[in-house]
Amino acid sequence: MAATVTQQPQKLVLLTGDSWGMLACLCTVLWHLPAVPALNRTGDPGPGPSIQKTYDLTRYLEHQLRSLAGTYLNYLGPPFNEPDFNPPRLGAETLPRATVNLDVWQNLSDKLRLTQNYEAYSHLLCYLRGLNRQAATAELRRSLAHFCTSLQGLLGSIAGVMAALGYPLPQPLPGTEPTWSPDPAHSDFLQKMDDFWLLKELQTWLWRSAKDFNRLKKKMQPPAAAVTLRLEAHGF
Amino acid sequence: MGARSSGAESMEPRALLLTQKPEPMALFAFFQTILLLVSLSLRTCQSEVLSEPLPLTPESLDVSINSAQRCLHLQWRVHSLAYHQELKMVFQIEISRINTSNVIWVDYYSTTVKWNQVLHWSWESELPLECATHFVRIRSRVDDARVPEPRFWSNWSSWKEVNEQNSLGHKASSVFPVDKLVEEGSNVTICYISRSHQNNVSCYLDGVRMHVEQLDPNVSAFHVNNVAFVRETGTNIFCEMDPKDDAGTVLFVSKVLEEPKDFSCETQDFKTLHCTWDPGSDTSLVRKQPYQSYTLFESFSGEKRLCEHKNWCDWQIAQDSQEMYNFTLVAENYLRKRSVNILFNLTHRVRPMTPKVFFKNISATNATMTWRVHSTGNHRTLLCQIELHGEGKVIQHNASIKVNGEYLLSELEPDTQYMARVHCGDANHFWKWSEWSGENFTTLEAAPSEAPDVWRDVKSELGNRTVTLFWKPLSKSHANGKIRFYNVIVENLDKPSELEPVPIPAPANHTKLALDQCSYRIHVTANNSVGTSPASVIVISGDPGNQVEEERVNVTADGFSLSWKPQSGDVTGYVVEWCDRPQDGSCDLQWENLGPNTTSTVISSDAFRPGVRYNFRIYGISTKRIAYLLEQKTGYSQELAPLVNPQVVMSNLTSHSFTLSWKDYPTETQRSFIRGYHVYLKPKEGQCHPGFEKAALSDNSVCCKYKIDKPEQKTFVVENLQPESIYEFFVTPFTSVGEGPLDAFTKVTTPDEHSHLLIRIILPTVFCVVLIMIVCYLNSQWMKEKCYPDIPDPYKSSVLSLIKSKENPHLTIMSVKDCIPDAIEVINKPEGSKIQFSGTRNSLTETEITKPAYLYLLPAEKNYSGPGPCICFENFTYNQAASNSGSCGHVPVPPTAPSQRGLLTSLENLLKALEKNYMNSQGEIPAGETTLNYVSQLASPMSGDKDSLPTDPPVPALCSEYKMQMAIPLGLASPPLSENSSVSSVTLLDQGDHHH
Repeated sequence: MAATVTQQPQKLVLLTGDSWGMLACLCTVLWHLPAVPALNRTGDPGPGPSIQKTYDLTRYLEHQLRSLAGTYLNYLGPPFNEPDFNPPRLGAETLPRATVNLDVWQNLSDKLRLTQNYEAYSHLLCYLRGLNRQAATAELRRSLAHFCTSLQGLLGSIAGVMAALGYPLPQPLPGTEPTWSPDPAHSDFLQKMDDFWLLKELQTWLWRSAKDFNRLKKKMQPPAAAVTLRLEAHGF
Repeated sequence: MGARSSGAESMEPRALLLTQKPEPMALFAFFQTILLLVSLSLRTCQSEVLSEPLPLTPESLDVSINSAQRCLHLQWRVHSLAYHQELKMVFQIEISRINTSNVIWVDYYSTTVKWNQVLHWSWESELPLECATHFVRIRSRVDDARVPEPRFWSNWSSWKEVNEQNSLGHKASSVFPVDKLVEEGSNVTICYISRSHQNNVSCYLDGVRMHVEQLDPNVSAFHVNNVAFVRETGTNIFCEMDPKDDAGTVLFVSKVLEEPKDFSCETQDFKTLHCTWDPGSDTSLVRKQPYQSYTLFESFSGEKRLCEHKNWCDWQIAQDSQEMYNFTLVAENYLRKRSVNILFNLTHRVRPMTPKVFFKNISATNATMTWRVHSTGNHRTLLCQIELHGEGKVIQHNASIKVNGEYLLSELEPDTQYMARVHCGDANHFWKWSEWSGENFTTLEAAPSEAPDVWRDVKSELGNRTVTLFWKPLSKSHANGKIRFYNVIVENLDKPSELEPVPIPAPANHTKLALDQCSYRIHVTANNSVGTSPASVIVISGDPGNQVEEERVNVTADGFSLSWKPQSGDVTGYVVEWCDRPQDGSCDLQWENLGPNTTSTVISSDAFRPGVRYNFRIYGISTKRIAYLLEQKTGYSQELAPLVNPQVVMSNLTSHSFTLSWKDYPTETQRSFIRGYHVYLKPKEGQCHPGFEKAALSDNSVCCKYKIDKPEQKTFVVENLQPESIYEFFVTPFTSVGEGPLDAFTKVTTPDEHSHLLIRIILPTVFCVVLIMIVCYLNSQWMKEKCYPDIPDPYKSSVLSLIKSKENPHLTIMSVKDCIPDAIEVINKPEGSKIQFSGTRNSLTETEITKPAYLYLLPAEKNYSGPGPCICFENFTYNQAASNSGSCGHVPVPPTAPSQRGLLTSLENLLKALEKNYMNSQGEIPAGETTLNYVSQLASPMSGDKDSLPTDPPVPALCSEYKMQMAIPLGLASPPLSENSSVSSVTLLDQGDHHH
């Protein structure tokens, strides 16, 4: 079995710049999320629109993370900001791994994939918040806080999709809340490595989630005849 | 070893001397002294014993590690000493790295050793101790004077192994030191320990590859000198090798903590001391070292305060009126401390509080400033500085006050915004000024102090004058407020009348007045909300003024330099006027007032442009305020070459000369003064005419140039030309800065020398011919009547109707069917005979006529029908005599007689009448006229027809060609020779083919 087959996105690319226009778009999406009929499964459109919004949000977060990762890895310094830096995964054991066999992942049920997505982003969000507390510069803290807000929105969006599909949300076991506390035994280099891996895993998760939601969106699309009927009903 | 013994004399500086550890025997000090004396006496007694080598070997050697400090701590004892025995000894310490034979350090430590004393010694390694195993051993030698020579070294202790790497239990590859904090400028040794044997090791310090030295198969190291601060998250060190076994560490390089600068303390209220300083560099490092701390310590009170801020700290003054303060400010981070100290008397560190400022009694020129400084305790005397900012100036005043201050600001400008501010300091022990405190205020308006500067422009038209009054806005210093309007009073000096001021709202700067030919005195005043300015008076005289000749003006770098002749008598001043923008017609009148003693000035303006002619008029102002023109000058601020050439007209062209003439330019379009003209003529055969000189044009062509020095000369005669030759000329003006543009040359061809003679002959001839032609045309009718009269038409003849109506109502033109022929001769025509009419008009070509066409009138059946041979009727309308008489008329004959004889008789009679009456009637047969037919001869061959019959026709040949129709009943089937107004081509076939 090709256990090493992984779904790796492109390497972390150092890109700077932010798009406040995109942020405004995201905020609008988040604002309207509660009003999406698909979330309470009572509206006619079904889960399709909410899956589409989740997909859009995932792609936006991918874009946002590219900028954030560039800034943060520059802050850590070489070799972490070098494009070909590909260290072994030392430490960072508690991070949810996005590397998994593609076939295995695709053979999972929608429910299981959504649950794993939800759990992974819950963990990653906690770690990101810890990262934010440690950041030294105000600009970096602002960027991280902004990204955390967006990621929180993605969690809510995934929860909405799960609710629309009738899947229960995973309940965290008491006392297993992930917290970001630097391991005193960890050297600072390993700590930086953890930060590096956190961003890398996050990028991989977002890349794969975008694929998941795209696939789910296509799966949930009504058949073509229904679309035709609906178009006719609209007078086309 | 000997070499190492000698090395003991120069001990390495890195060796650290630590403290001895004496036995605390304070209670037995006295006894110790006694015992020491006893001991010494015993030693003296036993000197022979001490001279023997003593077995004073260091024992119980223990080595401990401080990894963070990279220190090895050694401790040992010398057990062989006697109780209470003290002996001066020297210890030799050897340190080996990796293996015992690799000695890297030898050191000597001298001390006085007591009985049972634990000795300590430390050594700091450059290489992190985790990087390699270290080995330590020690030996000793008595170095006491009481012990006679020779003295011998003891045996070495056994090697003590120090392996920090093993003790930490690292199994993974590592780079040491881990998270080391150093100061900028330090030297650091880094090592990389791998789990396997190293191959192709690469180590990078912040991305820069370092030169690595391999210490053993698993350990590499490199040295970094003078490390620099890179970022607050530390400098990353990363090592990799083959096989892949990466490891890294972070070296935290802190900036060097600086001594706080500009440390000082002061008070404003005797309650709090405010101490400030400049902290210098930030030495904080993320997750390693916080920002440096600052602590304030006061030595007199012994109090200490940890400051919360980076650069200031407040110290509460105690109530017991402590006067002297001795502060020490300590800056501290993990690596070092820096401190500064100040000692002061509290009363010498008083900075007054910021005053509060008010203004009162503000007028046009004065204002009173008041301020109050809140208590600084004990009503101290304060020195205050007042600054007045206004009109771009700063005026400073000083005042001494207690608590309240007041200052009169005088000599202010009306309607002006000022800013006044004040700050105070302690007058007795000046320390620092307080903060400035200031306010803006504006003085009130006052009446304008000066009359406006007024000038006029007079234009006369049809006995009326339009006077435009211009005035310049008053300067701020003279307006003393916002000018609301200008009052204009026009006073007729010839007819005294009531004066009515005309207000003109500001910011207008001119007004127009329509005046007659009387003299007027005009008063102009400027008014603001407070009052009126003095009046500016100008007199418009009824006299139209004199004309003066225009002169050219000199131009200097500063502008137009104008001078004029001084006027004797009652001149109160001069005015120079000009237009700033004459080129676009708006003029923008400007003027400058000059004193009576001035006879020259330099006019400059930013509006002056090169290539524009400016006219300056200099007026003298009489005591009656009448302006009269003195001089008029014109000039260019910078002359430019002409842009256009004159339109040249060529005239008087002869075979040897022609004349060129052109008109003057308008003055406004001239970009410089024209000094003359150049006439360029392209030479024929390369030779210039007399008066011309060769010149090269801007396009490098060569031609002949004639220079006209007089700009007023605008004609030029080019002479000495050759006839029938082509010449090219071109005229351009020249100025002081060059000539006009090079335009195209105009070609002219000189005429032939004899051409005029030809003209003298040809013209009269042509005239005569034309005259003859006109005369001929006018007499064409006469000529026609004389030469070719029209052929008369029998049907149109009025004689016919006359005959019908008066003589015989049954009389008509002979009809064929009515004819009773007397004889019919049938002519046998051979087969194939053909008569062909060809041509388009009156031509008839008879290709083959075998027999003459005689007409015999024969009696025949009345109703003959069916085909038959051709029946011809002889036309008796004409006889040979008539045809040959030369008469051009056709004579139609109505064949009315039933018999040939009767017919002939009547024909003869008719002929006479017709010849008399119808010579010119036109022959025309109405269409459809069938009852009355005739056959007429169109023309005889002698009548001039082009298409004539064969030259030798048989007699009578006149019958052979007919113009008019011959109406023949169809039953006769004879070939008709019919034609209407036009002749058709008819082919007569022998068997009655009928064509119409």
